[in-house]
Amino acid sequence: MAQPIITVRQLSKTYRVPERDAGLLASIKSLARRTYNDVQAVRDINFSLEAGEIVGFIGPNGAGKTTTLKMLCGLLHPTSGEAEVAGYIPWQRSGVYLRRISMVMGNKSQMMWDIPPLDTFRVLGEIYHVPAAEFKQTLDELVELLDMGELLTRPVRNLSLGERMKCEMVAALIHRPSVLFLDEPTLGLDVSTQRRLRRFVADYNRRRGATVILTSHYMADVVELCPRVILIHQGSLLYDGALSGLVERLAPFKLIRLTLNQEQAPTIDGHLPPNVEVLERENGRLVLRAGRAETPAITSRLLDTLPVVDLVVEDPPIEAVIDQIYQEAKV
Amino acid sequence: MNHRGGWALVRSTWLSWMQHRSFFFVLAFGWMIPPLVYLLVWSTAAGSQAINGFTRGEFVAYYLVLILVNQLTYAQTNWTVGDVIREGKISQMLLYPMSPLYNTLSSEFAGKVVYMTFAVPVTAVLAVLLHPELHTTPGHVLAFIPALIFAWALRFFWGYWLALLAFWATRADALLAVQDTLVFLLAGQVAPTLLLPGALRGLANVLPFRYMVGFPVEVLTGQLNGSALWVGFAAQVGWLMIAVLLYKWMWRTGLRRYSAIGG
Amino acid sequence: MRYHLKLIGLFIRASAQQELAYRANFLISLLHSLLNFGTGLLGLLVLFEQVEAIRGWDFASTLAVLGVYLTVGAVRDLFIGPSLDALTGINGDIWAGRLDFTLMRPVDIQFWSSFRQWRLLAVFDLALGAGVLAKAIFELGAAVTASHLITFLILLGSGMITFYAVQLAFTGLMFWNPGMLFSWVFNGIFQMARYPVRLYPGGLRLALTWIVPVGVITTLPAQALTGDVPALTLVGSLFLAAALFTGASLLFRTGLRRYASASS
Repeated sequence: MAQPIITVRQLSKTYRVPERDAGLLASIKSLARRTYNDVQAVRDINFSLEAGEIVGFIGPNGAGKTTTLKMLCGLLHPTSGEAEVAGYIPWQRSGVYLRRISMVMGNKSQMMWDIPPLDTFRVLGEIYHVPAAEFKQTLDELVELLDMGELLTRPVRNLSLGERMKCEMVAALIHRPSVLFLDEPTLGLDVSTQRRLRRFVADYNRRRGATVILTSHYMADVVELCPRVILIHQGSLLYDGALSGLVERLAPFKLIRLTLNQEQAPTIDGHLPPNVEVLERENGRLVLRAGRAETPAITSRLLDTLPVVDLVVEDPPIEAVIDQIYQEAKV
Repeated sequence: MNHRGGWALVRSTWLSWMQHRSFFFVLAFGWMIPPLVYLLVWSTAAGSQAINGFTRGEFVAYYLVLILVNQLTYAQTNWTVGDVIREGKISQMLLYPMSPLYNTLSSEFAGKVVYMTFAVPVTAVLAVLLHPELHTTPGHVLAFIPALIFAWALRFFWGYWLALLAFWATRADALLAVQDTLVFLLAGQVAPTLLLPGALRGLANVLPFRYMVGFPVEVLTGQLNGSALWVGFAAQVGWLMIAVLLYKWMWRTGLRRYSAIGG
Repeated sequence: MRYHLKLIGLFIRASAQQELAYRANFLISLLHSLLNFGTGLLGLLVLFEQVEAIRGWDFASTLAVLGVYLTVGAVRDLFIGPSLDALTGINGDIWAGRLDFTLMRPVDIQFWSSFRQWRLLAVFDLALGAGVLAKAIFELGAAVTASHLITFLILLGSGMITFYAVQLAFTGLMFWNPGMLFSWVFNGIFQMARYPVRLYPGGLRLALTWIVPVGVITTLPAQALTGDVPALTLVGSLFLAAALFTGASLLFRTGLRRYASASS
């Protein structure tokens, strides 16, 4: 087995949040003496990633995803624990390390507002010591993958949100980072732009072998991109593995969609098995929920006793499962 | 016109501003420094003998009044008008069943109260330290009140029509900085208008800037009597009318342009 | 070093492009520079039309203070102010939440924060300031010797370092209290440097010399043009500049680290 590129051991982060009243006097007072509240944002997280993996960080708002990402980027010191990324300890912030990583944030921009993207890219190229030939090659490649050649010379302020996100991607990748952190990169984008960005991330990962950690609240991002997900809730790691495994563990249910013969539909009530729950009912269409193990038996009983026109058995939608986790936080 | 909504806005704006007192106190501190510099310089210069009839104590009185008048008439909201237009937030304001002027006026009033809670105590302390000599009469005090109100209105509407240029040009607020400098130079801050050299004094009397700050200060400190007073008022009201007309015209044509091309 | 110079070149280029995006702004800014310069000059003219000298400062020597004030202010407006403002000003990195990007750059953050944004129109202010200085030296005439000029240049340099250090320190304080406009406070106080500190009352004069060293930044270099500045004062001001620079850098870096250990 190859050496993991990211190793995280017992990583914890506690914020000390000063309690403070508003006002000038209070701020002067608080300079002298402060009271603090401890907020544990991340507790004892362990995981490791192989080079080239795409992993989705999921969890509700405030779960500790961004705090974990920031520690891996070297923006935050952990309170305790260890992390090693590409052979470096992130929060030592060595220049070599910073040149090997990159971050894209869906709600923040690193583009210079009033000038064309190409000029921002050039400045970034210099900052990251990218040789001229390599700069040109990387830029051409990214521009082609994102199909954004015509955007290069227009001022950023005149670009749409989707176009701007393409620029953010180029800005983040111009120095060919080997580890890429994507913090909600598809925030606020339309469906087809989201899809296009996902395809780009997958392509890029395949071509360059870059390791990608992605956080997103759009499950489509996670489903399409991440063979592996890490679920964080209230600072703790709740699950680490394939997305399908998460669904199986968390949703021991199947959905049965029934379409019945219209004329006989009103008389079915007595014939439904006792161990199903009716989720929706509209004329002759029903959606039932049944335990995973009992589903085969229930299905055959339904087919026997009711005037079934159509019957489909499926897994519950991922959004519903995730919603259930976020609300109950049980795994 | 929706006056009730307007007053509710004033109250809520004032309350939210009081939450961030320290921020606004810092702003008020910054505005206070330039006149304070000239107060100290002139009162030092007049330390041994009166300059052109101004004694040391009279300079102190003049500039202390000017510090207060300057903060009372400074239309800090002019700066946000341009931002609101540029960032398209004006669309939201236009949805309210109330003129956007109310939004601005509510910030104005709320701001004045907050700035005064800083400026008045500071000026009082300075007065105790620096011993001003204020020669004024009840008549002058009476004349000061309309002079102050007109001065505020003139400065407000003059800045407002300049800020409305944001409908046409981005960063039109650079013109507001120019206006601030002109006020600084011609409205009695660098020196009382009476001390300005001939040509500059003539310019100060003709242009609107003196009537935004210097004129009410001169009225209260008893520098103006008889015809000088009436001529001053006439000029002030004349410029105010021009400013309001410009504001109305800019607003109408600007809005037409905004609705034609979008935010 | 070459890397840093090259970066500065690129920063200047990008800033120039940003400024050129707003052409009307260009003319208005020139007008503003001229007015600012005119106001300073007229203030002096009006004052010295009424009096010969105030506390030993005549027109020419006060003009020298104004020249230093305008020059130092122009250097601030050229890059120190805009760069630090891009970090802590309204719409700056801290308020707009872009600080994470800034901190992820593989460059020294203090270097980046001090040089990244330029306002090239300030070159015009710089020329005006230098012009006022030249005029002041000309007015002072024979009183200015070569050794005076050398002392003046040394003090001007150390004054600028002091000035930068104070600005950096005030910027660093933002990491403790992001809501306070510390730099606005300092810019307010700095306006007092238009005039020699001798013109201010005793307590204020001491504060402006020792607490917020505004006097050291403008009055002292101007003094060097006319009279002999004691060697001790010269060494002292160099020492002050070095100490403040070190202290401010330390404060700034501590603030950054504090952000890394405390922010969310």
